[in-house]
Amino acid sequence: MTWHDEVSEIERRRKRALGLGGEDRVRRQHDAGRLTVRERLAALLDKDSFVEIGALAGEGDDENFVPAGYVAGLGRIDGREVAVGGEDFTVRGGSERDGRTKVHLLVHMANDFKIPLVLLHDGAGGNIENTIRRGYMQIPTWLNAAGEVGLTATVPVVAGIMGSVAGGPASRAMLSHWSVMPKHSADFFIAGPPVVKRAVGLDITKRELGGSDVQVHVSGTVDNEGDDELDCFRQIREFLSYMPRNVWELPPYREPTDTPDRKEEGLLSIIPRNRRQPYDMRSLIRLVVDDGVMFELKPFYGKCVITCFARLNGHVVGVLANNPMFQGGALDGPGADKQVRFMELCDQFHIPIIYFVDVPGFMVGPDAERSGALRRGMRAFWMTYSITVPLLQVIVRRCYGVGSATTSRTDRMNLRIAWPSAEFGGIPIEGGVDAAFRRVIQEAPDPDAKRAEIEETITKLRSPFLTAEALGVEDVFDPRETRPTLIRLLETAQAVSAYDLGPKSRPGVRP
Amino acid sequence: MALEQVRSETAGSIWKIVVAVDDLVQPGDVIMLLELMKMEIPIVATCAGRIAEIAVTESMAISANQLVATIERSDPQ
Repeated sequence: MTWHDEVSEIERRRKRALGLGGEDRVRRQHDAGRLTVRERLAALLDKDSFVEIGALAGEGDDENFVPAGYVAGLGRIDGREVAVGGEDFTVRGGSERDGRTKVHLLVHMANDFKIPLVLLHDGAGGNIENTIRRGYMQIPTWLNAAGEVGLTATVPVVAGIMGSVAGGPASRAMLSHWSVMPKHSADFFIAGPPVVKRAVGLDITKRELGGSDVQVHVSGTVDNEGDDELDCFRQIREFLSYMPRNVWELPPYREPTDTPDRKEEGLLSIIPRNRRQPYDMRSLIRLVVDDGVMFELKPFYGKCVITCFARLNGHVVGVLANNPMFQGGALDGPGADKQVRFMELCDQFHIPIIYFVDVPGFMVGPDAERSGALRRGMRAFWMTYSITVPLLQVIVRRCYGVGSATTSRTDRMNLRIAWPSAEFGGIPIEGGVDAAFRRVIQEAPDPDAKRAEIEETITKLRSPFLTAEALGVEDVFDPRETRPTLIRLLETAQAVSAYDLGPKSRPGVRP
Repeated sequence: MALEQVRSETAGSIWKIVVAVDDLVQPGDVIMLLELMKMEIPIVATCAGRIAEIAVTESMAISANQLVATIERSDPQ
């Protein structure tokens, strides 16, 4: 006697699950410009690496079997294990059933195997029909909520927003380290148009309510956008290529294809001599990092700050930079929020940070005050002094005010490299002189001449060489030496990260 | 012909307008400079085409997302 019959039954039942919600539903999914969950997993993961778990789950007899509305399992991305799954929109619109479901299994899998969790969301969560089936109303309960919150402290969590995502799945997507949605085929909101219509009486389309124009470009709720679903998968693979498997491992070193001692001539002329003229900070970053490759996070939100991953001589680095093209690089609320999240992400996964500084300070003016720029800016300051990962600073131009104090730590070795174009100060000369010498200027026979005279006196003190003589900045460097110098410092610092592995705690209350 | 609206990302004051109505532009061409935080920040053409309208004047204070120019697109969208 063998178990042949039962084994063929397993095969038969597995095949049944491959049909998803039926041909009609699959066609409708494709007509909406979307892939099915199984097509998504095939496109995201290494070929034939997916081991499905829970394929037999579903309802109904053979004639009208409906698989569970979720596909989950273990897969590989670039040869590295991930717990991965997503709602099947072709089954009841990807809505959830009561109780423990496959997504809860995936959270435990990521936690117990200490591997990244990748969720491809395509659903709206609970279905009111469940209430009728159940026969009573339920207090909203998030099964294993503490486990999902805790997961963000230990393994990388990625959210792909693949379809119309609302309610529970949308909320879960926020418990991720990074999220991405396609430009034209996904919508993301707390609740969709029918609920909005009843609650606030507004007629609005899904796209107007929560397309990437809103969630990536305005609210910053979703980090990145892809040209289409395939581009989103490419970005997910790229994001994970900079991530360690978990907080007990160092980020993945990759054999470099660039030379460590490359001295880039372009760095000598990238900062215009005209102090009023901005330049392209992204080009500057590309000239320094390995092969000019950077992966930018949140490129369309908090634009005064640039946050990206890159490599230096094969080591993963988190690059922060002020963006002079956006309000002169002044740090505002959205930029500060973006910096806080990026610093925390790098710290959590032991990724050293390099900060290219060109900041005139916090953003000023009525918009800045009304949006809480100071509180949000000081949250960035708080985070700078709470992280333990190595932080290297290159001052390429302006470094003014408390806004600039969010870019380095004075309580550590604090090795700051300044370029000859660097200038520093507590308060900018323009405006600062008016504030401090108001009476002197007003009472002078020629106030404008007096102001110019005082400004000239102070301007003469602006040279970084004078500051370096006083060791007020640790050193002034030839910009072309930036890459070799950073690599030397980074490789020394990187060794220390190995002593600091594991989850990080953050005592205190953020401003 | 489709019209493309060019808007300022931030508040500031218009420092210099470097194109005129009917000028032809390519994506990325500077059409005006915004003065903000003592910097001259370029506002660039978002598509190829002909400048149909300039909605601001030099030294005018503008708010974030304000319309500054309209371009009649020459490239297919």
